[in-house]
Amino acid sequence: MSDRRILAFALVLCCVLPPAFAQQTLRLAAAADLQPVLPPLLDTFQSQTGIHVLASYQSSATLATQIIQGAPFDLFMAADLSFPQRVIDAGRAEEAHPIPYAHGTLVLWTRNDSGVAQLSLDVLRGPSIRSIAIANPEHAPYGRAAQAALNHAGLLATVAPRLVVAENIAQAAQYADSGNAQVGFLSLTSALTPRLSADGHFIRVPAEDYPPIQQGAIVVRNSPNAVAARRFLDFLRSPAMAQRLAAGGLEPVEPSHP
Amino acid sequence: MDLQTLWLTLRLAASTTLVLLAMGVPLAFWIVSTRSPLRPFVEAMSTLPILLPPTVLGFYLLILLGPRTGFGRLASHLLGHPLAFSFDGLVVGSVLYSLPFAVQPLTAGFHAVDAALIEQARLLGAGRWRILRDILLPLSVRSVVAAAALCFTHTVGEFGVVLMIGGDIPGATRTLSIAIYDQVQDFSYAQANRTSLLLLGISLAALVLLYARRSGGGARHA
Repeated sequence: MSDRRILAFALVLCCVLPPAFAQQTLRLAAAADLQPVLPPLLDTFQSQTGIHVLASYQSSATLATQIIQGAPFDLFMAADLSFPQRVIDAGRAEEAHPIPYAHGTLVLWTRNDSGVAQLSLDVLRGPSIRSIAIANPEHAPYGRAAQAALNHAGLLATVAPRLVVAENIAQAAQYADSGNAQVGFLSLTSALTPRLSADGHFIRVPAEDYPPIQQGAIVVRNSPNAVAARRFLDFLRSPAMAQRLAAGGLEPVEPSHP
Repeated sequence: MDLQTLWLTLRLAASTTLVLLAMGVPLAFWIVSTRSPLRPFVEAMSTLPILLPPTVLGFYLLILLGPRTGFGRLASHLLGHPLAFSFDGLVVGSVLYSLPFAVQPLTAGFHAVDAALIEQARLLGAGRWRILRDILLPLSVRSVVAAAALCFTHTVGEFGVVLMIGGDIPGATRTLSIAIYDQVQDFSYAQANRTSLLLLGISLAALVLLYARRSGGGARHA
């Protein structure tokens, strides 16, 4: 009987006590465009610091809503500055301003077998392009950038009936990669993945055609892992890691945009 | 509130329900009357769409309807436009997605009809078509109505499949559920609430009307 009691007590202790010997875990809410680039960096961070990062990848809008509603994340890395700002406005952030950690690049992508010979913004003007995938400009940062670029090229009205709107940038990549959309405005992070590199090719949309896609982060208010969260952000902005992010399609923040 | 979106949603649900009844009645009749060893397989296949998460089903449909499959190229050739990102494509997707909601109630309804009645009709020389039209269908009106109601409402509330194969084109593929999702993503909660309430109100009214008729039919039997 007493043996059983000891066993039961030990079991209860195991459940109740914080796992003292287990590694520290940082819960990260990450924008969908980070999914192709972040995972190997998380491993490097863990091997350097012993901190395990548990990342959830979703659209910035969904993650912002979840955090505002009290989702237990420590760090929010969005695909723009407006969503972290919403979290700040809702009083759910430690920061007063989003911390820029990288900026995204918009590309125009097509499958190698799509029949589009010379990829350019101008080629969209012709009637041979019947469907163009973009992320939803209402709430997806890359969609907003694509709309701005089309507007800048004076193409928006011409191509509007041929736009197919995906919920987020990852879905826009599916529309284009499955061949259902002939071309797509994608993130450079998507275009550089092994799959899309093998299936198609891209051009960078000229950076002066759209407002920069500044990606910002915030530490969630009252996070028990705030120190680890800031440490992770510093790690990402270190020269070595910034270089790896850039190789995956996320350029470091320029000094002119502190 | 966008009337175009509402109209499109109702049109999609009505088209899907009609196609599903036209397909589901013969299919359910075959299931209850066949001795083929294929029957369990066909019945299982017709239930499978419930199994996959709707966005996953939608993803496979996107691939299937696309220009990289024979089916996608054939459909595109016959219709003169690709199926993905079109109203026709949504009907195809919705029919597949709601198939179990037509076949299951119909099969159950047909099974519940007294086998002796069918046997007598057969002995009196009635063919399969007459048995279906004059015995099975009239005696399982409740199941047919249930199948129609389920198909209609399931299509109105459909989200994942439309999200994947729709492309959010106003007047062609933007349904109410997509509009509500977009409004939520844009933090336009008041607008989303209004659209949701409208959707629930219309659906509730339609269902009450439908079930009121159904119990009227039942009362005649009593």
